[in-house]
Amino acid sequence: MEVGGDTAAPAPGGAEDLEDTQFPSEEAREGGGVHAVPPDPEDEGLEETEDHKLVFLQQGPLLLVAMSRTSQSAAQLRGELLAVHAQIVSTLTRASVARIFAHKQNYDLRRLLAGSERTLDRLLDSMEQDPGALPLGAVRCVPLARPLRDALGALLRRCTAPGLALSVLAVGGRLITAAQERNVLAECRLDPADLQLLLDWVGAPAFAAGEAWAPVCLPRFNPDGFFYAYVARLDAMPVCLLLLGTQREAFHAMAACRRLVEDGMHALGAMRALGEAASFSNASSASAPAYSVQAVGAPGLRHFLYKPLDIPDHHRQLPQFTSPELEAPYSREEERQRLSDLYHRLHARLHSTSRPLRLIYHVAEKETLLAWVTSKFELYTCLSPLVTKAGAILVVTKLLRWVKKEEDRLFIRYPPKYSTPPATSTDQAAHNGLFTGP
Amino acid sequence: MAAAAAGAGSGPWAAQEKQFPPALLSFFIYNPRFGPREGQEENKILFYHPNEVEKNEKIRNVGLCEAIVQFTRTFSPSKPAKSLHTQKNRQFFNEPEENFWMVMVVRNPIIEKQSKDGKPVIEYQEEELLDKVYSSVLRQCYSMYKLFNGTFLKAMEDGGVKLLKERLEKFFHRYLQTLHLQSCDLLDIFGGISFFPLDKMTYLKIQSFINRMEESLNIVKYTAFLYNDQLICGLEQDDMRILYKYLTTSLFPRHIEPELAGRDSPIRAEMPGNLQHYGRFLTGPLNLNDPDAKCRFPKIFVNTDDTYEELHLIVYKAMSAAVCFMIDASVHPTLDFCRRLDSIVGPQLTVLASDICEQFNINKRMSGSEKEPQFKFIYFNHMNLAEKSTVHMRKTPSVSLTSVHPDLMKILGDINSDFTRVDEDEEIIVKAMSDYWVVGKKSDRRELYVILNQKNANLIEVNEEVKKLCATQFNNIFFLD
Repeated sequence: MEVGGDTAAPAPGGAEDLEDTQFPSEEAREGGGVHAVPPDPEDEGLEETEDHKLVFLQQGPLLLVAMSRTSQSAAQLRGELLAVHAQIVSTLTRASVARIFAHKQNYDLRRLLAGSERTLDRLLDSMEQDPGALPLGAVRCVPLARPLRDALGALLRRCTAPGLALSVLAVGGRLITAAQERNVLAECRLDPADLQLLLDWVGAPAFAAGEAWAPVCLPRFNPDGFFYAYVARLDAMPVCLLLLGTQREAFHAMAACRRLVEDGMHALGAMRALGEAASFSNASSASAPAYSVQAVGAPGLRHFLYKPLDIPDHHRQLPQFTSPELEAPYSREEERQRLSDLYHRLHARLHSTSRPLRLIYHVAEKETLLAWVTSKFELYTCLSPLVTKAGAILVVTKLLRWVKKEEDRLFIRYPPKYSTPPATSTDQAAHNGLFTGP
Repeated sequence: MAAAAAGAGSGPWAAQEKQFPPALLSFFIYNPRFGPREGQEENKILFYHPNEVEKNEKIRNVGLCEAIVQFTRTFSPSKPAKSLHTQKNRQFFNEPEENFWMVMVVRNPIIEKQSKDGKPVIEYQEEELLDKVYSSVLRQCYSMYKLFNGTFLKAMEDGGVKLLKERLEKFFHRYLQTLHLQSCDLLDIFGGISFFPLDKMTYLKIQSFINRMEESLNIVKYTAFLYNDQLICGLEQDDMRILYKYLTTSLFPRHIEPELAGRDSPIRAEMPGNLQHYGRFLTGPLNLNDPDAKCRFPKIFVNTDDTYEELHLIVYKAMSAAVCFMIDASVHPTLDFCRRLDSIVGPQLTVLASDICEQFNINKRMSGSEKEPQFKFIYFNHMNLAEKSTVHMRKTPSVSLTSVHPDLMKILGDINSDFTRVDEDEEIIVKAMSDYWVVGKKSDRRELYVILNQKNANLIEVNEEVKKLCATQFNNIFFLD
């Protein structure tokens, strides 16, 4: 699915025109041809023609439309539209959007979204080619030795500033570690989708160098309010520090915080370790720290997504998942998209509202897929198409063993939290953990 | 957005949960060419159910469908809209003939719960229905109409819009009442035919019988032969599948065997009193001894794509054997002809029927499959439309009973959707939440679905079970690893 660039968007006309439309640019003709076909005043609609799906989603005054020629399911398209909407909300907040349209029905929202077309494009591309985050509702971490990660977490916990709510260390769009202000965010859930949104946001070219200060809204946490984000690249590296606070004038305090973090990381020798993690990659995409599926040592295994569901007793974890780099035969864009669609479809079947499944084993021409959900984990594996059933079971067993062995490195097991002075009294006893996940 | 209720239900809501199955909300047929200008919209509508709906609302609904079709043509000019999903219902579109559109609107299943303050809360289950099932049902509506009325175009040629509207009204008014949307499933997607298993000798006997009959009653154009609601031979595929559906779901169930009827049953009284054979007409004259008996047979239309033939359908049955003689509509069968048919066919068909029965019993004993089939499976062959299901009990006009939970049937439908996405052979095995295993295999235009109730089995064991089934029933036509 592609987003219409500057040229393809229809000229805004009457109030009927869809304000937020995305077309495959080569297909938009006759002014986009999107005239008001108001579906029944029910929230969502889906139209199917042979091979094509059109999904309509209404969110407040905005009507979002997705048109797809690929095999994506309606639920998947709806998820992408929701993510696009969340992206818009994160820039403007839901309250302002509602206010704008209440004031003037014909307002062309593109004026406020100038420059975010590329962000939206990247968002849609990443959702389609990098399966996992969207359907699983989890974030992916950089594999890192636990002692180092714990030390970095402790470091973040020490470096605070007034009004600081969330500190995030990330590299290549993946999480190194994060620390959360107990009082501000403890009462509500920090949705992994919001965290993923932040991780994608700091990956934008605008934040490629130096430091920046910008307002951002976390749509699922609070769609009507802004946080103020300090974003900095550390030491001219792809490592990124994100400090999210509630105070508008706190730039200098945040910058001071950043220097503390940088010094701490030098002391730990973390920069080199992270630099190595960042450079390990066969992918052509910019420094995506990851591991190869060969590391598992299970021939026949091509790719997998693993999301642990067992949660240690005293801590409720941030929902995470892990997966290796996509290698041949999934090096090309179309193949990645195809695999991503397959994973989405498996996920939709496993979690169907009316007829959920525990396990799916799908032998097809190009690959064999096994999707499995238990009380301990959710797993999607992609295997060679020639594997036998006995062989598949062997591969999966090996994989599960390997993940268990490596879990300290692959996941953040015990996320830290801090309390910035002065601590206001809240009901702390009710909240054991950091991110009370969904 | 509606979410389906959890299986068992819990808390204060469970006790008062009411489930409403999917239902037909409306069904209409229109042609946008008939009312292109403003003020003429009403002329587009050729049939609308329910008729009590106010005229403007009809026009609005038809207009909306037109707009959707137009809109989707922008993206897909050759393959227009198939379906529209909204929270409360689904609309299905079909264009069986150019510019003639049929639309069926089905209400999503509903769960009604009583909330704590006593108010009923309605949840629409948006993800429940399978598109392919209802699209197939809609296509079948057209096929059935066409079987008994010919094409829309022909009606237009014969008597313009007026005649077409009359025919549509007459047919669909009754036919829509026979739709039981809550029990439509995978078999509606297949629209297959159950074939009667025969040995060579019996087949030759039947073929020879048909040849003799066709020669004696020399106006017969086509013949179809069924035993026990299963087909032995008949017309060309597309016509036969809809005729088969009519016979097995409508005509046959209406006529239980007189020899099975009780002594005081009114059917006994109607018996022709001919003790020499058990043959009787299912269509046409009820009582051959009555000189005023009407010899009216249903008319059917076949080969509408090329030769476009109109035929009288004579269905004659003796015990479990039914033979359909199809005669060109230009010939009018008289009472004499019917009596002659009765005297020729009756005795021979009776004998043939008992022969078939005897041979069938011998075969069953020999193959040792006296006991209930252990496997629950559904099989369909796209090439000859052969279908077999050990899951469905005998179809009656009102409902098709299955021996498995409807959710399992929907899982089969999901697997079928996955199969149709690609041309290659595939296999899909799933374990459902209820710990049933479902195995779907597609091989070379054949599809097999097996349902296993083995909670603690693993993938390998399930595979072995299916292998067993394939070895006995399907002579290894499915590739297995």
